[in-house]
Formats: sequence, C-alpha cells, structure tokens
Amino acid sequence: MNKRSGSGFLRHTTVLFLLLAGGISMVLFSVKYQVHDLEDEHKRLVGELEDERRALHVLQAEWATLNDPRRIQVLASEHLAMTPIAPHTVVGPDAVLSIPVRELVFDEAAPAEGETAQ
Amino acid sequence: MKRKSPLQQEIPFETLDPARIRMESARKQALDQGRTRLLVTGVLFTMAFMVLGGRLVDLTRHGKDGAPKWQAMVTAKAEAEAPVVARGNVLDRNGHILATSLPTQSLYVDSREALRGGDPDYAVDRLLSVLPDLDRDDVLEKITNGGRFQWVERNLTPDQVWDVNRLGLPGFGFRREERRVYPYGPTFAHVLGYTDVDGRGISGVERAFEGRLGNQGDAIDLSIDMRVQTILHDELTKAKDRFEAAGAAGVVMDVITGEVIAMASLPDFDPNLSAASLGDRGFNRVTKGVYEMGSTFKLFTTAMALDTGTVGLGDGYDASEPIRIARFTINDFHAKKRWLSVPEILVYSSNIGTAKMALDVGAEKQKEYLARFGLLAASDVELPEVGSPLYPARWGEISTMTISYGHGIAVSPLQVAAGVSALVNGGVMMTPTLIKQDQNVQPEGARVLKAKTSEAMRGLMRLVVRNGTGKNADVQGYLVGGKTGTAEKQVAGKYDKKALISSFVGAFPMTNPRYVVLAVVDEPKGQKETFGYATGGWVAAPVVKGVVERMGPIFGLVPDASSENAEDAPDHPLHMPIKAGPKRTAQLQGTVRHAAY
Repeated sequence: MNKRSGSGFLRHTTVLFLLLAGGISMVLFSVKYQVHDLEDEHKRLVGELEDERRALHVLQAEWATLNDPRRIQVLASEHLAMTPIAPHTVVGPDAVLSIPVRELVFDEAAPAEGETAQ
Repeated sequence: MKRKSPLQQEIPFETLDPARIRMESARKQALDQGRTRLLVTGVLFTMAFMVLGGRLVDLTRHGKDGAPKWQAMVTAKAEAEAPVVARGNVLDRNGHILATSLPTQSLYVDSREALRGGDPDYAVDRLLSVLPDLDRDDVLEKITNGGRFQWVERNLTPDQVWDVNRLGLPGFGFRREERRVYPYGPTFAHVLGYTDVDGRGISGVERAFEGRLGNQGDAIDLSIDMRVQTILHDELTKAKDRFEAAGAAGVVMDVITGEVIAMASLPDFDPNLSAASLGDRGFNRVTKGVYEMGSTFKLFTTAMALDTGTVGLGDGYDASEPIRIARFTINDFHAKKRWLSVPEILVYSSNIGTAKMALDVGAEKQKEYLARFGLLAASDVELPEVGSPLYPARWGEISTMTISYGHGIAVSPLQVAAGVSALVNGGVMMTPTLIKQDQNVQPEGARVLKAKTSEAMRGLMRLVVRNGTGKNADVQGYLVGGKTGTAEKQVAGKYDKKALISSFVGAFPMTNPRYVVLAVVDEPKGQKETFGYATGGWVAAPVVKGVVERMGPIFGLVPDASSENAEDAPDHPLHMPIKAGPKRTAQLQGTVRHAAY
C-alpha cells in the first residue's frame, strides 16, 4: 500500500516535470527566436545609424565647402543686387532715440462708441 | 521462568552473539557511506545542471559567441557616438569646419592572388578602362612582382569604387582610409598647414596639434574667424596683384585676449592638393618670415620714450639736419627740415627725430622695452613655423638709432602685431594664440606700459591716420589709428632701394581698441595711380582700410557718429596737440651729443 502510493507520487512528479520541461523549452525556443530577431534589428539599426552619421559627416564637409565666402561672393555678385554692409549703415541701440516721434492725433470728428449706442 | 519484555523476547541474550552485532554495525556504516556519496553526487549533478541551465539561458538570450553581448548593447549608445573618422576636425571660433577627414576607400593589389586570376595584361586593361589616370607599367609591375600588399590608388570616389568592384578582378581589394579635406582651400593654407597621404600633420596647426587631432581625435577650436580670414586673404590678394608684389602677409589680432582672428600669407597653396614641393608658397611670412619692419617700429620707440618719461608730448627734437655718424647718414623721407614735436615726429615719420629720441632713452632701456614687447624672442604662438628675430649682438649707439626706426632688427609680422596690441590695449602684453579663449575668463598678461602711455599712443596713432602718412587707412566712423612702415630689403648685404617691405599696422576703434590689423607687402612695385610710390601708406594702408571696413559691420561695431572734426575738440579722448609747446630742450641740451652729429 505504502509502496504503491510512493510510486504514484513519483509518476505524477515525472509527468509534471516532463510537462514543465516541455513548456519551458517551448518558451525558451520562442524567446530565443525573438531575441534573434531583435538582435538582427539591433544590428541593422546600428548599421543604419552608422551610415547616417557617416552621411552627416560628409554633408557637414559639403556644407562647409558650399559655404565658402569666396564662392558665395561670386554667386552673389552674379545673381544678387546686393553690396556688403557699409560701416555707416550700422547703428547702435541709441539710434532708436533719433527716430522722430510721430504725434498721435485723435480725430475728434469721429463719434465715440458710447455715443452711437444712444 | 518469568516472561521477558518483547524486546528481550525477540532478541534473546543468547542470540546477541558478538559476530552478529559487528555485522549490523558494518551494514549501518555502509548505508551511511552510501547516503553521503549519494548526497555529494546529487550536489555535483545539481551544480552541473545549474551551469548547463545558466549557459542555456545565456545562449538563448545572447546568441552564440561573436554576437553582441548584453554589455555591448548597454554601451551601444556610447559606441554610436564614436567619431566617424579617427582624426579630429579643426573648427573656427564660430564652429565652422576648417579641416575635416572624410572616409574613403583605397585600392590595393595582392599580386599572388591577381596572378592566379589570369593574364595580368588583361587585368590592367580592364582596370585602366575605369581608372584612366593610372600608369600602365606601374600597375603591371605591381601585379607581377609577387608582393602581397601594394597600394594601386589612394582615396577613390564612391563611383570609382563601384566601377572597380563591377570589374570583379581577382587580387584587387579596398581598404577603408581617411582623406583630409580643407573646405576653404588656400584661404587657411598657412594657419592649418596640411597632412601627408597617411594623414599625419606636416605643418601648421595640423602639425602643432598632431597629438590631439591624430591620436585623441579631438576637435580643435581655433581663435580664427572664418569670415575675417576670408576678408584679409581677399584684400591681401588684391594688393599683391595690384602692386605686382612678391608676397604679402597680414594678421588681425584681438588686443584684449591676444587671439589671432585672421592670419594670411601670400603666395599660398591649396592644402587639398598634393603638397609635394611647395617652395616659397609653403613659407609662412607671418610667423616664420622675419623682416626689418621700418617705421612701424617708431611706435615702440615713442612709447618707450613716453613711458620712461624721457620725453613729454610737448617736447621736440631738431630734425633740420641729417644725422651723420660713421659712414651712415640718417635722413628723413618726408623731410620737414625744422624742429618737430614728438607727435610730429611720428606723424611725419621722422627718422632723425626718432633716432634722437632713442638715444635719449638709451640702449639699455630700449633693449629692455623691446624685450617686454616680445620683439627679441621668437613668438610663443602655437605653430611649428616660428622665426627667431634677428638683431645685432653688439647693441651700440648706431644700432640704437637704426633700431629706433625699424632697421637693423628683423622680426616677424606677428610679433609686431602682438607688440602694437600691448601699446593700445592699456599696456598689457598678451601672448598671441591661435586657440579660442574662454570669453568668461579674464585674460592675463604682463603689464609692459603705464595705462597713461597707452592712452597717449592711441591718440598718436590716430593722429598718424588723420594727418600723417596713414591717411589711406581711415574708415569714416571707425577711428582707425596706426603707423606706416617702409623698409628697404637687404639684397646681398646691401639695401636695395627698389625692393621694399611696405607695411601698415592699425588698430580700431581708437577710443577703445579691440583689433589690431597688420598688413605687410613684400616688394611691391609702384603703380601709375599711386604716382609710382610703393610705400606703406600707399600699398599696405588701403589693405587695412579694406579689412576694417568689411570686418567692422560683421562684428556689429557701431561707427562713431560724430562729425569728422569732433576729434579736434580739446576734450575729445583722442585729442592730441600736434604743435610743439614751448620748446623744452633741457633734455636735448643735456645730451649735447646730437649737436656733434
């Protein structure tokens, strides 16, 4: 009697552990592939980032080349009717004071709003 | 017989024979031993399975060896910010890229592989069809000589790489490299220098900061302003062409911090192109070249005379007669043939007056002051190309006189610019630097002049531009002050009247100077529109004017709005009485030596 119940317990545990092992390995299997996919994604993104940064670096150099004042000067003299800023056109904050103040004149003929309501 | 207890009954005493007891104990012992062994084995197995399990989890989570480890993933962000190229950028003070490295591909050949691939002639033909600039024999030699690694062509464009790859030639491969690029070409040639094909700095900033740029990959922030540099380069080029000069040099310096805002030397070179034999074009006239600067030195002489109290602004000297000493005659170019006050001596650039003034100061004081202005030792600027000044070992009376007006001493233009900065900034000598300084840190320098002397120098320099030889440098409103210089070059030990060094050193705005601009033109030829003159006032002063006129608005400097004659008012900060007061000739009479000349 005692012996029978012991072997029954053992059988149950074995089945339980087998099921557990099977379940875990399936989870493990799917997680493994998920991780794989994520890894590929990560690798791809890092590669893309690297490409973008390289492109950015090259574009910065190109921007500097295009920004060469000598080049811009040639283009400006060809296509724009602009001249360099002359020193006398630069004014300080004090210059605001030298602008004549426009007198505010209120038109007395125009009726006030309160009056039209009456 | 009494009944015994069940135990006794079951194991009667007679049955407890010693052999049996021994046997029972041996069994128990074996049983215990077995249990212990089982436990040990169990623990070992559990540990082994735990290791296996851990490894399983590890493999599942992080893949096989060689795949990115989780530590790597955590630090991936930092990795992504690692520089694209190994060598650092050089930036101007506003962050514009002056020099950068671009990733490129270089073509190499492994000749054993290439030979195994087939007929070398065929391979060369194919290769030349996409890279027509290659030397046929050279490539053929590299394919057949058995070497395992030889460069065929460095730094190919992406299109060329694509074309070569499409040929599918065996034995040819690419290796990633870097190529140094200078977006502004020759404009910064002498500041930046250049690198060799392997990306090592050969001259200029590239060489001076090789450690930081090359080994650490740091970016270098220069004090140079790209816009001002372009302006200076442009104005110097115009002057050099206009006066058919052999060369030209220019510096713009911040007088407060000692930062070099622009520095150009002509003729120059394009650092993007292979710089095999530069010759004169590779010579930095600003820092490496030393020249007898001529009358610009009169500023230093006047400053030391005023600072030591040897003369006052009202004093004067007799400039009516040339000084004759030994086999020399000191004469005036713009001779007035009369007594001149100290301001007049500077305004009319009188050699006679300046020489007499220097004699009064004395050789010792003169030497001491010139050393203070940094004119007797090589400049400390961060470039490998720095010239040492030349001056006589025996500093006699004749030397004192000639050095007072800039002959018999040769210094680099950068030294003059730095010295003049100290004259106008309140009397503090700043070490010229090419590195951007922290704007929040009060720059430290050595006091070399009294503030009052510096103030007087501002007025005197302004006077030279308003009334004297520097009129061509004036820019309405910016209150430019300065001094012209014209020196004859020594050719084979003799001064050549035709070969001049014409210079102008200016500062602005003179009420509160912020920048010193120096222009030097080497061997200019007089032109019809300058009436045949090739002196500093005609050649170099317009360069400074052009630079000031164009850089002032860029820095938002507000021009002085007051009328042109406002400076004549006695209460104006730059007012300088030009006429000599009562002739205080006490000092002159004290040094009777002048009369003997």
